[in-house]
Amino acid sequence: MSTPLLEVNNLRVSFKMHAGEVQAVRGVSFTLDKGEVLAIVGESGSGKSVTAQTLMRLTPTPPSYIKEGSILYEGKTDITKLSEAQMRKVRGAEMGMIFQDPMTSLNPTMTVGMQIAEGIRKHEKLSKKVALARAVELLKLVGMSNPEGRIHQYPHELSGGMRQRVMIAIALACHPKLLIADEPTTALDVTIQAQIMDVMRDVQEKTGTSIILITHDLGVVAELAQRVIVMYAGQVAEQGSLHDIFYNPRHPYTWGLLKSVPRLDSDRNSDLSSIPGTPPDLYAPPKGCAFAARCPYAMKLCLENDPPQFEIDGPAHTAKCWLNHPDAPKVDRPIETGGAAHV
Amino acid sequence: MDNIAKSQFEPAVKSGDREAILRPSVSYWQDAWRRLKKNKLAMAGLFVMIVVTLLALIVPLVSGYDYETQNASAVNLRPSADHYFGTDDFGRDLWTRVWWGARISLFIGIMAALLDLVIGVLYGGISAYFGGKVDNFMQRFIEVIYSIPYLLLSILLLMVLGPGVSTIILAYAITGWVSMARLVRGQMLVLKEQEFVLAARALGAKPFRIILKHLIPNALGVIVVQITFVVPTAIFAEAFLSFIGLGIKPPLASLGNLLSDGAAYMRYHPHRLVFPTIVFSLILLSFNLLGDGLRDALDPKMRK
Amino acid sequence: MLKYTLRRFMYMIITLWVVVTVTFFLMKLLPGNPFGENASKLSPENLQILREQYGLDKPVWQQYLKYMGQVVQGDLGVSYQYPTRDVVEIIKHNFPASLELGVESLIFAIIIGLLLGIFAALKHNKAGDYSAMLIAIIGISVPSFVIGPLLSYFVGVKWGILPPGLWNGPEHRVLPALALSFGTIAILARMMRASMLDVASQDYIKTAKSKGIRGNGIVWNHMIRNAILPVVTILGPIAANVVTGTLVVETIFSVPGLGHQFVQSILTTDYTMIAGLAIFYAAILIFVMFITDIAYGLVDPRIRLGKGR
Repeated sequence: MSTPLLEVNNLRVSFKMHAGEVQAVRGVSFTLDKGEVLAIVGESGSGKSVTAQTLMRLTPTPPSYIKEGSILYEGKTDITKLSEAQMRKVRGAEMGMIFQDPMTSLNPTMTVGMQIAEGIRKHEKLSKKVALARAVELLKLVGMSNPEGRIHQYPHELSGGMRQRVMIAIALACHPKLLIADEPTTALDVTIQAQIMDVMRDVQEKTGTSIILITHDLGVVAELAQRVIVMYAGQVAEQGSLHDIFYNPRHPYTWGLLKSVPRLDSDRNSDLSSIPGTPPDLYAPPKGCAFAARCPYAMKLCLENDPPQFEIDGPAHTAKCWLNHPDAPKVDRPIETGGAAHV
Repeated sequence: MDNIAKSQFEPAVKSGDREAILRPSVSYWQDAWRRLKKNKLAMAGLFVMIVVTLLALIVPLVSGYDYETQNASAVNLRPSADHYFGTDDFGRDLWTRVWWGARISLFIGIMAALLDLVIGVLYGGISAYFGGKVDNFMQRFIEVIYSIPYLLLSILLLMVLGPGVSTIILAYAITGWVSMARLVRGQMLVLKEQEFVLAARALGAKPFRIILKHLIPNALGVIVVQITFVVPTAIFAEAFLSFIGLGIKPPLASLGNLLSDGAAYMRYHPHRLVFPTIVFSLILLSFNLLGDGLRDALDPKMRK
Repeated sequence: MLKYTLRRFMYMIITLWVVVTVTFFLMKLLPGNPFGENASKLSPENLQILREQYGLDKPVWQQYLKYMGQVVQGDLGVSYQYPTRDVVEIIKHNFPASLELGVESLIFAIIIGLLLGIFAALKHNKAGDYSAMLIAIIGISVPSFVIGPLLSYFVGVKWGILPPGLWNGPEHRVLPALALSFGTIAILARMMRASMLDVASQDYIKTAKSKGIRGNGIVWNHMIRNAILPVVTILGPIAANVVTGTLVVETIFSVPGLGHQFVQSILTTDYTMIAGLAIFYAAILIFVMFITDIAYGLVDPRIRLGKGR
């Protein structure tokens, strides 16, 4: 196998607040291959967004800082060790990012054409005219009608869906090898969400870029991702292929997530359940398993000992839960697996 | 990892409430106070404000002089043990007069702010609460008033009313309430749509009661901040009006007429400008610093 | 944009009308004789002739209509006390100096104020920020009628670096303009800082960062342009600040401007002059407000292109 595009090892990110240190990301490791689509799933506060933004070093420093770990890009460059100046050469050129809310992510006083062209002019030292011509091409790529006219418009003249297409065009402007999409559809209407997911899939097929998709929506995951990371309280709870996560989940938290997705084919009387409780306080993470307090299967050792990543049929699928220990009692998964794939 | 006792795999006995709140909850005002205490400049402002207010209240009582008795044998003296701030051209003790002036200036500032508050809160509250045509009309009216420069209007009003403490307060309040009304209305409009107000409405609470019990306490933060800014503005207005000859007339002392006199005599008797300037600037500075601090401390957006 | 401009224009006209009306009726309420102290020397017959000459024997509403008619034609009347003094003539004679002083101090204040605000925001929560804001808050707390005399005395008289007063050569402009700009600098610096900090936390700044734009590029192309928009809205109040400032600064530095004239009229209770000048000042400020609104519309594409508001 060739070198992975991205290798994240034991990444720890904390925020220094006046009340203490918030450990937002606590030892996350994963790899991303070239052309692969990886989804990071979790509820808000699980550290998925911080992880994504740390890949581009976009979290404000201070208060945030990388405590530990490395992010190896193409097997040689450690993102965590780059200077700000070096980092600027990576941002936009090697990696592009799409943010959650297209209404606030575009500069209101700059035409969309100029906003797309800005990165191109910076990284490729092209003239304004050439860069704008490229912007037109990019808008075509993301499926905007009348791109020649659109580049002269301001963000407020566009709808939310169109703005998110512009954001995708901005992220793709310099043919990055990695596209990070931080909840790209959360702020949009359901019908528009589907369109944006289509655009993303289309773009991925045409450009072959790797994508890291941050979301809390398992429906979105099933549509696009090949591999899935489930995050909880700043840690990886479970990771595996899309098939592993949907058909053979091994972590009670993953079960909870899957159970909370509504399904058309399920019995109307069956419960659409939520996971009771709230995530732990990351000012002072618990000693044992972070999920133990909310876990219906918690065992004595879960409260005291943090579980390791257990391999399930090989290293590609791991779950951070004591239930996968050979001595642990067998429990029945409370769900029919694979359901969420057909939302 | 392989040597784990079997008993460890038994179901855990969890103690306590799963959803217990881990950090103690603090009320809005406690939280604001805690943040304010951390702001050194604001605390310095608060401290200076208290000291100046105390001096303004106490000094005229204990200085041994009053603000108006003239003494032809002690004219324009430099500061000394008898007269800490020196004397003016009628031989009046400046230490007493400056603190008398501070007292009157503070009185004007606080009264103006209170009047501002009453008019502004009523106007803004009514405008926001009723909305629709009432709001529309009231806002058009405000836009017109807002465009009239308040110091010019104050000048005209004072020409008619004649200079004096109460007329200055009135002149300021007639023109000054607009910002407060706008602010209150803005706050109310935001709060009006929130669930707890809808709930009160659904329970049949009367409009006035809703304004009083629900809306005003919630808008209190911004109102308090606005007041800390109105006080220095009114004090400034008095000084400005005194300077152009429309303020409080001697023998009564105000910081405005002391400053104005001081500026006129500065070349020969600098002490007559220096001391009123220091006290005046300290008052304005302390209110502005505290106001800034309060604004930061009460801003709910910063609450974490 | 056209509709927006028209609406603003309507407001301007209404406000002007309110100002003239209020001024007229306040003047009617004034205590004492409109012809001042000299009038007591006049015989009742002569006084009656004067009253008829100025139309004061007519009912108030007729006087009001006549006054409005005059004002619309640009006639602000003649001083009752000094009939040779035409208010408009005085304005023509004295306003240029005030305008020059105001514009010079405003330009200076805008440059320094904005730079100070930007500097403070970029050094947010560092020593630079604190010192810039301390300067600004002192600028707000120490008014021009305190700074003016101090500058005049120390720089002008004691050290003799610049002339302490009058209005002859360019060197006479420096101290008054400086004294006048102090407060404005402070207001602008605080406003610009707050606005910059607000913009800095916006999502589109993160977007710009994610494109790999340099810090300076972000500051210039994304932050300042957006941060300056709300600052434009306070240009009206700032102009008011400068205008009222000219009253005291011109008096302190003996500048032969309109502000000095205004203060003199107040001291001599020259009612027509005060009314006329108040209307003139109000008209200027209301016009500045109108221009500010239009300018805001022009710089903000959301309004320029017909949406919003």
